[in-house]
Amino acid sequence: MKRDVFMMSGGRLKRKDNTLYFVNEEGLSRPLPIEQTDNIHIFGQVDMNSSMLHLLSSHGVQLHLYNYYGFYDGSFVPRKKQVSGFTVVQQSSHVWDNEKRMYIARQFIQSAVHHMQRNIRKYGAEEEVSSYIGTLSAHAALLDEARSIPQLMGIEGQCRQVYYGSFNCMLKGGWKWEYRSKRPPHDPINAMISFGNSIMYTAVLSEIYKTVLDPTISFLHESSSKRYSLCLDIAEIFKPLITDSIIFNLINNRRIQEKHFDQEDGLVYLSDEGRKRFLAAFDEKMKSTFKHRQLKRNVSYRYLIRLEAYKLIKHMIGDTVYKPFKAWW
Amino acid sequence: MFVIITYDVGEKRVGKVCKKLREYLDWTQNSVFEGEITKGKLTRCLAELKKLTTDDDSIYIYKVENPKAIEKIVYGKDRSFEQLFF
Repeated sequence: MKRDVFMMSGGRLKRKDNTLYFVNEEGLSRPLPIEQTDNIHIFGQVDMNSSMLHLLSSHGVQLHLYNYYGFYDGSFVPRKKQVSGFTVVQQSSHVWDNEKRMYIARQFIQSAVHHMQRNIRKYGAEEEVSSYIGTLSAHAALLDEARSIPQLMGIEGQCRQVYYGSFNCMLKGGWKWEYRSKRPPHDPINAMISFGNSIMYTAVLSEIYKTVLDPTISFLHESSSKRYSLCLDIAEIFKPLITDSIIFNLINNRRIQEKHFDQEDGLVYLSDEGRKRFLAAFDEKMKSTFKHRQLKRNVSYRYLIRLEAYKLIKHMIGDTVYKPFKAWW
Repeated sequence: MFVIITYDVGEKRVGKVCKKLREYLDWTQNSVFEGEITKGKLTRCLAELKKLTTDDDSIYIYKVENPKAIEKIVYGKDRSFEQLFF
């Protein structure tokens, strides 16, 4: 119900009458109900002042900034109201103890592989894909034998290679997959994967901030400095489930085409229109709900991410053992 | 739940009520707001409105428990206020 808004054009975001107003470049002012806003994503050049930020803070609204190319730059996040030193200590102890860390890291990859297989089954033609699904299962079976994080990462990399290899069976309408390239992406599909992942990371971060978890302490990825690596961990589960299925939908239903990409000396980026289409699809997906088996009520995909964080907390404080989300339909 | 709120209040208080409702819902037309809202927030919104209005003013609330049950038809110019992009 609470919504995300995307500022693609330039303008001014201001506080007036205890709510938000967006004044665009032509001077047209539009009110935004603050109580209905969850995240604000800024892609254009937007002016703002501190009294606006105070308002965001008092309503727990997060503001995320992206650069010219659509890559994540940073966020303004209200003072953390949910803090628990106990949980952070427990979270760290699960990284310190190799056995415990391996358990959680393994769960992330297993869930990711489960969703990759699900995508292949869903979007591929039956005769072509069975070998890919089999190879993925064979790789995933090695997870139980892995004894170190680098080994797990290796298996994850192999799984992803197989998964990307199967893309040509799933893409319709003359789209060809070659290889994965980032920084910068060399073709439209890679551009979409990169853009999608960066949106996914912020979505996960914004949900983690609502819990007591520390986003810098991670299990599968190394907890290094300078990044929120727990987002990368949790996003592993949701990248194939949410981002990739959006990409397949956009391509196969011809909702996105070559003309929605900008090419500059071999670098490919989504154009403004392409970005809008992608974000609209992303927002639609995150808002959509399904009946949750355990909770016995409808939950949205966005809330599902937070549930994953809650499950991790429960695991770490010794309540219930962590079982990652695996789509069952 | 989905609500439509219409109000008819004394001239002096129109602006105050409008500003308050802008915090919670989307403005559709003069004296009309609509949007999805939770029970808790609606209660809070109405409590705040009560402080701004007198007994002579009237505020009507139309509640639709299932937002999917509502169909909105617009004749003439559609000024869609609920927007994803700006």
